[in-house]
Amino acid sequence: MGSVTLNNIRKSYGAVEVLHGIDLQVEDGEFTVLVGPSGCGKSTLLRAIAGLETISDGEISLDGQVINHLPPKRRDIAMVFQNYALYPHMTVAKNMGFSLRLAKESKAEIDRKVQAAADILDLAPLLERYPKQLSGGQRQRVAMGRAIVRDPEVFLFDEPLSNLDAKLRVQMRSEIKELHQRLRTTTVYVTHDQIEAMTMADKIVVMRGGHVEQTGSPLELYDRPVNVFVAGFIGSPAMNFIEAVVQGGNVLTSDGAMLGPAPESLSDGARVTAGIRPEDIILADSGAEAKVGLIEPTGAETQLTLRMQGASMVMTTRDRITLSPGDAVHIRVAEGKLRLFDIQSEAAIR
Amino acid sequence: MNTSSDRWLAYFMILPVVAAVLAFVIGPTWDVATLSLTQVVMGQERGFGTLNNFRALAADPMFALVLKNTAIWILGGTILCVMTGLAVGTFLAIDSKMTTGLRALILLPWVLPDVVTAMAWKWMLHGQVGVIGSTLQSAGLTEQQISFLGDPDLVMWTLVVVLIWRKMPLVALILCAAIRSVPNEQIEASRMDGANAFERFRFVVIPNIAFSLTAVTVISMIWITAEFALPWIMTGGGPANTSQIMSTYIYQQSFEFFSWGVASAMSVVNLVMLMVIVALYLYVNRKSWATGAAS
Repeated sequence: MGSVTLNNIRKSYGAVEVLHGIDLQVEDGEFTVLVGPSGCGKSTLLRAIAGLETISDGEISLDGQVINHLPPKRRDIAMVFQNYALYPHMTVAKNMGFSLRLAKESKAEIDRKVQAAADILDLAPLLERYPKQLSGGQRQRVAMGRAIVRDPEVFLFDEPLSNLDAKLRVQMRSEIKELHQRLRTTTVYVTHDQIEAMTMADKIVVMRGGHVEQTGSPLELYDRPVNVFVAGFIGSPAMNFIEAVVQGGNVLTSDGAMLGPAPESLSDGARVTAGIRPEDIILADSGAEAKVGLIEPTGAETQLTLRMQGASMVMTTRDRITLSPGDAVHIRVAEGKLRLFDIQSEAAIR
Repeated sequence: MNTSSDRWLAYFMILPVVAAVLAFVIGPTWDVATLSLTQVVMGQERGFGTLNNFRALAADPMFALVLKNTAIWILGGTILCVMTGLAVGTFLAIDSKMTTGLRALILLPWVLPDVVTAMAWKWMLHGQVGVIGSTLQSAGLTEQQISFLGDPDLVMWTLVVVLIWRKMPLVALILCAAIRSVPNEQIEASRMDGANAFERFRFVVIPNIAFSLTAVTVISMIWITAEFALPWIMTGGGPANTSQIMSTYIYQQSFEFFSWGVASAMSVVNLVMLMVIVALYLYVNRKSWATGAAS
């Protein structure tokens, strides 16, 4: 069992508070991703769970047992670091077996566990190599192997793929996910890359400025973001935001183009921020007028930058289109896909 | 044409260095080597091609004592210097306001001139008026005031202590810098792996600074072998030659007794010893030169 409960976690460096009371529940076996921009406190939170960072207030518990005051080694948690943090003077086998050696396990037992982990990760032929003789992806796997041999309750990953090139990153991403599906060990994974978060997570925790903005499954966050920040952070290309006004039960752009129906809670004249995902914009015979700016084909789909009066929007389409820059088009928003946010609080209006 | 003029230019460019090495290193060494094979009587050269100087050295009962003292001086000095340097360096590597200040202060013994250091310690260790001896006595720790430099059993080790006081700071600073450059993530990874403070030091810090550690060991060994002013001013080899070491004995033989031949023979022995040390160092570090230094 390995369920982690965070209760009102606060962390200050001197007078500066970087975590403002984080509550989080990670279920046993769940793959949870902490995501957010640089400086949002996600790494600090992960390090607090690991025990590498003390917390100023709050409680961290593992399976109902408070572990705040335990040193890292007594928490039964393993961590994979961003720069792999392999010991350069030890072979792969020694690196992986180091924790067991410190725990005074017998040599035969260490060999057996290291071998088992190496088999899982395809590291068996590399066991006698030194870290400097390995490629980035192999080092990353050794770092994971070091975590696996301990058979911990929880794995922590601190931006493990950020040092790899794009192709390798995609490959390792699926390897980590497969590994999790095999081992079913509770995992907390930190990244600033929302695509990593979307593809890997059972549960995503979006953080900003030391607060949790929203917690939920990837599609939940994508379909029902609670505010402008989450809506803009999740999804690529990002959601379009334009200022709009409610008139006669409809949401209109500033130059009067119709975007969609307004919920009943909004009265005439209310000003809102309208959010539209790029794939929810449809080319139509009538509707809001726009001019084609950039056309960026990626093969499977084409990305268009549309210039409207006082705003610019990005749309994607899977259709092959025959437009060229400067052409005038009409667009509308797919039914039920218009998101509205309060212009002041930026909270979603449902 | 072009390549040959390039070659001449290259030779021309290294000429000053080659000349300097020839004049100041190879020349004197050659001189000493030939002198060690020359019979010298009363400062007069009397024929080349003899091993008499080395025979005289082997027969000299003093030479055995000098070798023993030199062993204490070089081996004891180096080992203790590196060990205390490692301890102090580890302490200085801790981040705090105090250590930041201490890191600058600790260089003080190192920047003082040899003569000043030697005179100051000579006074502090003096048998009648030395502040250290009298403090120990008035504190009731010793019955009589100890004469650190006058006691044949203590004098060599007292010299080693002063030597360490003088040479250790730079060792400590170099090792402190090395320790501070150990990647923090490795330390944290070892904490996650369950290592306690000692195990982190033993299994992560030490291997990471191994290159600096061997380098600093050999460098201090060479410094200590070459150190002359400190023991010469403090004891001059006394009392009764009990603190006579290679460098002081060579000086005494050549410039007080004018036995150039024997002194040169001793210099040759000394040189061979140093070369063995350096060869050992290069052998131990042969891997690190190729890989460790680069990474």
